[in-house]
Amino acid sequence: MKMTIPRVVLALSAMSASMIGSMAAQWLNHPDPKTLRQRDGKPNLSAPTPRLNGKPDLTGLWEADGTPRSELKQALPPDFFDLQIDVPNLTKYVVNLLWDFKPEQDPTRPEAAALVKQRSESNGPTSRCLPGSIPITLLLLPFKIVQTPRQIVMLFEHYDPPRQIFTDGRRLPEQLDPSWTGYATGTWQDNTLVVESRGYNDKGWLDAVGHPRSESLRLTERYRRRDFGHLVLELTVDDPKYYSRPFTVSLPFHLIPDSDVLEAVCEENEKDYVHLRN
Amino acid sequence: MTAIRIAFFFSAIGTPLAAQWVNQPTPGTPRTRDGKANLTAPAPRLNGKPDLTGLWQAERTSEQELTSLLGKEVVSLQIDPQDFTKNVMNLFWGVKPEEEPLTPAGAAAYKRHQAEEDHWPHTQCLPAGIPGDLFVLAFKIVQAPREILMLTEIASPTRQIYTDGRSLPKDPEPTYMGYSVGRWQGDTLLVETSGFKDGEWLDGFGHARSESMLITERYRRRDFGHMDLEIAFDDAKYYTRPFTVKAALRLIPDSDILEYVCPENEKDRVHLGK
Repeated sequence: MKMTIPRVVLALSAMSASMIGSMAAQWLNHPDPKTLRQRDGKPNLSAPTPRLNGKPDLTGLWEADGTPRSELKQALPPDFFDLQIDVPNLTKYVVNLLWDFKPEQDPTRPEAAALVKQRSESNGPTSRCLPGSIPITLLLLPFKIVQTPRQIVMLFEHYDPPRQIFTDGRRLPEQLDPSWTGYATGTWQDNTLVVESRGYNDKGWLDAVGHPRSESLRLTERYRRRDFGHLVLELTVDDPKYYSRPFTVSLPFHLIPDSDVLEAVCEENEKDYVHLRN
Repeated sequence: MTAIRIAFFFSAIGTPLAAQWVNQPTPGTPRTRDGKANLTAPAPRLNGKPDLTGLWQAERTSEQELTSLLGKEVVSLQIDPQDFTKNVMNLFWGVKPEEEPLTPAGAAAYKRHQAEEDHWPHTQCLPAGIPGDLFVLAFKIVQAPREILMLTEIASPTRQIYTDGRSLPKDPEPTYMGYSVGRWQGDTLLVETSGFKDGEWLDGFGHARSESMLITERYRRRDFGHMDLEIAFDDAKYYTRPFTVKAALRLIPDSDILEYVCPENEKDRVHLGK
């Protein structure tokens, strides 16, 4: 899917608007006593996965693997990189979650495709300091996982509420009010954390091009920490209103050791609203 | 204190009350024979320390006490007094104005805030930080092995309190939430926080904190349902002496924080002064 310049600029610059504050960074280098290290003191990113109460411990600051510029160029317009949007580790999947799908495999229903087309002329939720939601908020900036015996919390550098994943054995409630964050429960299947979530509103976008979600969305996320420094998320999107079948995307992440999320306050010194048309 | 200021104060609060999953039986909750949460059961423990995990709310202030200081008009605003405790309005509740320990710089910052009352951070979808986050609505503590999180129902980033033995940074980047480290003294969690943005609000009246503020919180979970909190403020730039407030926190069992997205359907901005 080739995108026009305005759409990419709107989507990514709006997303990155709230990044700017946190880029001016602080405590970026706190040597963590629990970081596994090589002899020279550098983090040993291929050391074995740490464990907590007999399960893999996913705790840490994670960032989606960047896509090589040569591959990004295939779908983004050639002058995209002249725009100086700071996307050092931009993953193609935050641009388009269905990036890898050939047209004949693409499960996007016509209603959803029409919405994507319509959204090329509008601003995504993040441009108004609204949540990026799953999966955008996992893919755009680093996010932190904090694992406890009974729940897992995800913290974002974006204007998203913290995400709670309950691992205490509870079931997903039958009735859920639609929300940005949804409601998530997790179980362990061997060394893989399986997260089931639903209860999402229909306002969130799945990616920068605006693939929609409906209130019937169900997400299944399978997290597997391969070693100290690497995590793979297999994300399955099941939303029959907009997609003809469930589809799965495999998303690789790397650990950022000795660091942490930074305080991101989207509304601080906010100057964009008056310039936004819709 | 005018009615209009109190109204501003609450203008950004309230959305999450339209609630959902407020009744989610939580595994691990001790119960009496009739199935109700046993709020006087012993405090749970985690790795040999008290486990502070849970949804907490500062004890409310009686309507009588509120009207004694804020005037009868506070009732006419139809604010639900269950939502907050008095110290979120005024850390020096009950202290005569002339006896408040303000330095000239602290008095000037206070005066500046009073002149721009709609800049109270809640009203602008900005974080209140400490102590505001602890005194309005409910907040959730999630205790992890090496840090403690505080999740709010208002527009604040999740607070991280590091309990892995690190010290406060020497030259922190100033933030709304500050940088927090915690350690255990017996069964009391002692949290120290510094690195605040200068000149932000400590309470609804407009008492300010400077960049040199050090806040020390002591949390003691007495039993399953009750926790004592004491907060000490030390800021030589704005206050002539350290001062302390106390709050009794009660657990809200089988519940959780609700999603709150401050800018959603936001209609206030155009009516606020600059």
